[in-house]
Amino acid sequence: MSPIDKKRQADFQVIAQWVEPGERVLDLGCGRGVLLEYLKQKKSIYGVGVDIDFDKILSCVKRSVPAYQGDVRTILATFPDGAFDRVIFSRTVEQLDDADTILAEGLRVGKQVTVGFINKGFWVNRLCTLFKGRRVINEVYPKPWYETQPTNSFSVNEFEQYCNARKLVIENRAFLAGDWRSECSVFPNLLAGYAIYDLSSFD
Amino acid sequence: MNDSEQAPIIPEEGEVGFVEYQDFVSKEPFKFVSGGKLPELTLRYETYGHLNATKDNAILICHALSGDHHCAGVHGIEERKQGWWNFMVGPGKPIDTTRYFVICSNVLGGCQGSTGPGSINPQTGKAYKLDFPKLTVQDMVKAQSLLIDDFGIDRLHAVIGGSMGGMQTLQWAIDFPERLGRYIALASGARHTAQAIAFNDTGRQAIISDPAWKQGDYDPECGPNQGLAVARMMAHITYLSDVGMESKFGRKRRSGDESKEHFDVEFEVESYLRYQGASFVSRFDANTYLYLTKALDRFDLHSPESLDVTLSAVTSPGLVIGFTSDWLYPPHGNREVVEALLRLGKDATYAELAMDFGHDSFLVRAPKLYELIHRFLTR
Repeated sequence: MSPIDKKRQADFQVIAQWVEPGERVLDLGCGRGVLLEYLKQKKSIYGVGVDIDFDKILSCVKRSVPAYQGDVRTILATFPDGAFDRVIFSRTVEQLDDADTILAEGLRVGKQVTVGFINKGFWVNRLCTLFKGRRVINEVYPKPWYETQPTNSFSVNEFEQYCNARKLVIENRAFLAGDWRSECSVFPNLLAGYAIYDLSSFD
Repeated sequence: MNDSEQAPIIPEEGEVGFVEYQDFVSKEPFKFVSGGKLPELTLRYETYGHLNATKDNAILICHALSGDHHCAGVHGIEERKQGWWNFMVGPGKPIDTTRYFVICSNVLGGCQGSTGPGSINPQTGKAYKLDFPKLTVQDMVKAQSLLIDDFGIDRLHAVIGGSMGGMQTLQWAIDFPERLGRYIALASGARHTAQAIAFNDTGRQAIISDPAWKQGDYDPECGPNQGLAVARMMAHITYLSDVGMESKFGRKRRSGDESKEHFDVEFEVESYLRYQGASFVSRFDANTYLYLTKALDRFDLHSPESLDVTLSAVTSPGLVIGFTSDWLYPPHGNREVVEALLRLGKDATYAELAMDFGHDSFLVRAPKLYELIHRFLTR
């Protein structure tokens, strides 16, 4: 595995710890289906991936991961309440045009929702803006703003505020340092490069 | 993020070359869902590749409404036109005849060698015509299963089909779940839209209102050719797309402006459709057209209970492929099938190809389609 792939798969181990064996998992924005393939191997899950891009679906087919090419909102609407044990948004929430509604839909369809995101409050991101006056460009996000999708990034604090505002239960949280590998235990809003949350709604 | 993965190397392609059809004859009475019966039945078919010793490498291809059993290769040296899915079937192609034994049969009710309304009823010595039993997609699939039995094949590696063939494919997955390893349905859906039924019925009316139809009791040599040609012309429009027709024909003219009004061919698109109508008449039977379109209109996986209940029988992994420009069997109709399968916890995939060729996109060679089918068959 290349270092970039390793970094891209930062949240795999954390998510795999939270997933129970045999769970039904819906991965929204599943990309090439690597996470689902990993969870299938580690936890014998039934997983379904969703992605808008044909080439990603092609990769899922290669991995024998069931996948649905289409819009996240469309597919969520077709599932009854609690159809999945877990709905995963791994670096997907940033791309949504109506994150609030879609997360609520995720919590309707999934008993739990897992959200992994890059922390906008990470000190490197702050310094980059402060000193260079631009966003970070690194090996994971190598392209300048004009070659990428609109991204609505947010910080650990902003995400916690959202969970509070919507009265969501934070079942689990994990923070990774700037290398996206080692654990980050203090001041996550400043020191965590990557954050993973496990949420459920009040019942 | 750069998520491109290297494309698999597809070995050099070959051709299946010369092929001959065979006839499978079942002397047992065949019972239709409607209760109707045939004293015996014939299915005309072609095969490509070799059935292995364990008989587990067979792929059944189901053809569309106006298709037939000839999906690859050529019948003779003077035949210029290859089988209808020649680009997909052959050595080194996605449906690789060096790996798989490929079977394609003319559908029950057809007019290309299988028993249909134009066939002779051995009990009366006359053609069935409208005495041919009411036909459903389930009957087509049941007849195919007899052919598969005859080969001694318990389980097919895959069943694949587009359009009407896609509906047969879904029916296979529902009626014989233990007999297929996987299935691929292209440009199909759980049922016809009101619009699809409307187009079919207009086509049927063109045939029925042709005086030569004679309540179905026409001489095959002088059938309702005018009606059938018009039905085909109209149906053909539904297989294409606005964009596709515009780029192929635009407003290109055959003849210039003349002072006197006339209704001969003026635009290129008229010439094309008239040719399609005329050539269809020479190879297709009007009664078969009526029977098959009716079978398609009645096909409905939402009944008798619901789509989810019908599809709960499915056990094998499936791939459903929709095409963005297909307005006859639109993407949402294809998606709906996979949405139901996923609700049921089945292994199903929906992929959508952005192609401009309308419903007929599945008949057009495209690298992405090629790769998708190749990967699903070999995964």
